[in-house]
Formats: sequence, structure tokens, C-alpha cells
Amino acid sequence: PPSPYQDRPWEYLESEEYRATYGDKPVWHGYRRNHKGSVPPQRTRKACLRRGRRVGNPCPICRDRNLLVDFRNVKLLDQFICPHSGVIFHPIHTGICMQQHKRLSQAIAQAQDHGLLWLHVPFVPVPEEDFSNQHAAVGKTPPAPALKGPGQAWYPWYEWQQPPAAEVARMRRLYQGFLKENYPDTPPS
Amino acid sequence: GKAAQPRPAFTDEAVQTLLYKMTGLDLHKVFRPVKKGLKPPQYKLMTEAQLEEATRKAIEEAKTKLIMPPVLNEREPIDDVLAEDKVLEGTETAKYVFTDLSYSIPHRERFIVVREPNGVLRKATWEERDRMIQIFFPKEGRRVIPPTLFKDENLGTVFQQDRHEDVLNMCVAQFEPDSPDYIRVHHRTYEDIEKHGKYDLLRSTRHFGGMVWYLLSRKKTDGLLIDMINRDLLEDATSLITLYHMLHPECQSAKEAKEGKLQGVDLIKVFVKTESQREGYIQLALQAYEEAMATSSAS
Repeated sequence: PPSPYQDRPWEYLESEEYRATYGDKPVWHGYRRNHKGSVPPQRTRKACLRRGRRVGNPCPICRDRNLLVDFRNVKLLDQFICPHSGVIFHPIHTGICMQQHKRLSQAIAQAQDHGLLWLHVPFVPVPEEDFSNQHAAVGKTPPAPALKGPGQAWYPWYEWQQPPAAEVARMRRLYQGFLKENYPDTPPS
Repeated sequence: GKAAQPRPAFTDEAVQTLLYKMTGLDLHKVFRPVKKGLKPPQYKLMTEAQLEEATRKAIEEAKTKLIMPPVLNEREPIDDVLAEDKVLEGTETAKYVFTDLSYSIPHRERFIVVREPNGVLRKATWEERDRMIQIFFPKEGRRVIPPTLFKDENLGTVFQQDRHEDVLNMCVAQFEPDSPDYIRVHHRTYEDIEKHGKYDLLRSTRHFGGMVWYLLSRKKTDGLLIDMINRDLLEDATSLITLYHMLHPECQSAKEAKEGKLQGVDLIKVFVKTESQREGYIQLALQAYEEAMATSSAS
């Protein structure tokens, strides 16, 4: 069933229900993955919802239907970013599935783009160039001497030119048997 | 008649020295720790001489960081048609952009032309130029499509978080100094700072000079003056008023100051009587300052 906080996911993080479930700890605190051996696989599971069915022990975001990954609920996104270095935690550290991690990274990028999340701004020194815009590339260039007026073509052969009479006679002699009768020398305009 | 002096520009030496003095040089703010990859802290044992040498080097570096970005007028849009070839009409369905990719020409002299489907060969507009140059010669901190943060709706959220300096740094990285977007974002930021009186956010950054220039050209200096007097920065207040007189030499207080050759607190008092809108507040602030000076000199 869809969550009641579908349109306003940030409200859930202020509600009594959330405080009762998680308290002050982040959402992924206390989640433990099930795997063989002491070293966990270096990638979490691909997705928690396989062909519409929930797997056993779903990840911290998929197990709570009210937690929606959206660029607007900044409080949830903040829990997955290191407060000291500003870097997104690896899914092994938080335990979320790879699909949710991808959506989370996209939501964090979107939130930073909109200005809701802090973003590291590198120091760009002031450009030292000539701002007068006098060069022809960004100003007006005078028209070419070949163009004497508007509507003139760049090259003379853009418009139809009458070929020399010798050429016309040569062509006629070559294609004697195939020419239509009464074929004009100049094409009709 | 009288030969009028040309209006002082932002790049004049006198103006720049005054603005630089007003910006201040708080080393703790310029080199404050930034969120980045963690490293264990480094400790150094230094003698007095070495410490002085290190502070001197830090001041040199801070000076390079405080070079002010240029304040220019908005650029003229480019609309120049090179050729109109009706022969090509209907042959293509999309525009073609031809960019000159020679490495050693400055970007402002690069030729970028667009062939439209109707056969017109025209020079590319400024937005197209910026996009193409960013695609072929990417610059650090600049994106091909500017972030949505620079739209008017989203600037409000950032200002509520007091991140004006970040916005201005991103703006300098993203846009050219004479583009309309750069000017619009800067003006919005300065307006917001002036509305809420958050002048201290930009002190010791490279954007303080630009803000002061904006406020001076629009004669909105009252809030800044009150802030300076409250923080006991009398020299900054006097330099602000000298700049005002340089920019608007025809106003009443400029003439009185020139006749009387006033200095310090008298200059401020003359300015307050003639030019300011919020006289009451400035008088109160001056009174508080003088009382504080009296008590400190008495004790």
C-alpha cells in the first residue's frame, strides 16, 4: 500500500512515529547485513524488491515504506553524507541496496543543484582577459565586397548563368538522338 | 563652463585601494577549514622569526585570494549575419555549429558560427558561444548547463541558509563577468544582504568591493554605515564616505567636505545631516560609539 507521506516525504522525519522508531540516530544505525564469513561482499544486494516481492532483511530505506528518497527531504539525505568530509557513505557502511544507493546519489546531486544541500565550491581565480569585446569574432564584421546589396548571392554560379554557345552546340551534338524536340536553350523561370 | 571630472571607474587605483582597505584581512576567515577529505592534523614547532615568516607568506596568499572580480556593463547581444544562401534551404533539418578549435587563441577572439536550416550563416549568440567553449575547452567549476540554483526561486532558499559567499563564488566560476546572468545573480545577492543587514558575511572575501560599489552607485549606504560604526570601524566609515564623494561629487556633503577639508567623525556627521535617509539610527550609533570611546579613555 502506498505511504501516506507520498507527496510530502519531509514531514515524516518530524513526526512522532519517526522519533519513536529511530530516536536521534540515523536511519541506517544498527542495521546488520546477513552474509557468510567475517568480510562482507564489497557490494550490497542489487535491489530489495525483486519481481514485486520483498527479500528477507531489506535495507534501511526499503524496510520503512514512509522513507522516500526525494531531493526535497534534506534531513534524510543528510544522514547518508559524512558530516566531516561531505562525501556520500559507501553502501557497505550504511547497508542500503545498490538500487537505493543510485537513487540516493541522484537525489543528493539534484538537491545540491537546487541549493538545498551544502556543496563544495572550488576557488576559481578571477579571469584575466580583455573584456572590451572589440574583436571581429564577437562584434560586427563589414559585409564582403562581393555582396553589393541584400539578396545578392555569395558566388555568381548560385544563380543560373547562360553557358557559352560552343558548349551548348557540343552538348546538342553529343546527345543528338535523345534530345526532346523544341527543347529551349534557357530553362523556363 | 567648469570642466567636469570623468566619473571614477571600478578599476581606478584610488578606488581599488580604498575598497581593499575596507575589505579587511581576517586570516582566520580567509583560511578557515573547509569540508574535504580527512587527514591527521599536522603540528609544526616554529621560532618567533619562523612564525612571522609564515604569517607574512599567509598574508601574501590571502592577497591573491582577495583580488576582486571585475564589475562590467552587460554585454551587447551578437546578431551579425555573414551570408544568406537560399540554395541550402530545405536541405538540412538541424542547425550546424562550427567552432574554431585552434588552441592558442583567446576565447573572446574565437569564431563560432551557426548555419540555420533556412541557409542563413550567422555568428553564434553569447549563450551558444559559452556552451560551445565549455564543451571543447572545459573549465574547472563550470558546467555546460548552469545549475538550477541560479534561478530566482531557488536563490531564496540559499539566502536563508546564509550561503551568500558560496553563491557568489559559484557565479564567478560559472558565468562570464559581463553576462546578464552574472550581473542579475550579483545584484540579487547584494539586495538580499542589504535588506537583512548581513554585511559581515562578505567582509574579508573578494566580493566585498563589488557590493560596496553596487551600494554606492545606488546610494543605499546607510545600513553599511551603521554596521561599520557598530563594529567600531571608523576608518572604514570615512573611506566609504570619501568614495561616495568621489562617485557623486555634485552632492551637498561633498561640497561641504571639500570646503572645510573635514576628517574623521566630522565627515560622518556632515554626511549624515545631508545625504542619509536613516538619520536617527546613525546618530544613535555615533552616540553609542562616542560614549564607548569616552568610557574606555576614562578607565
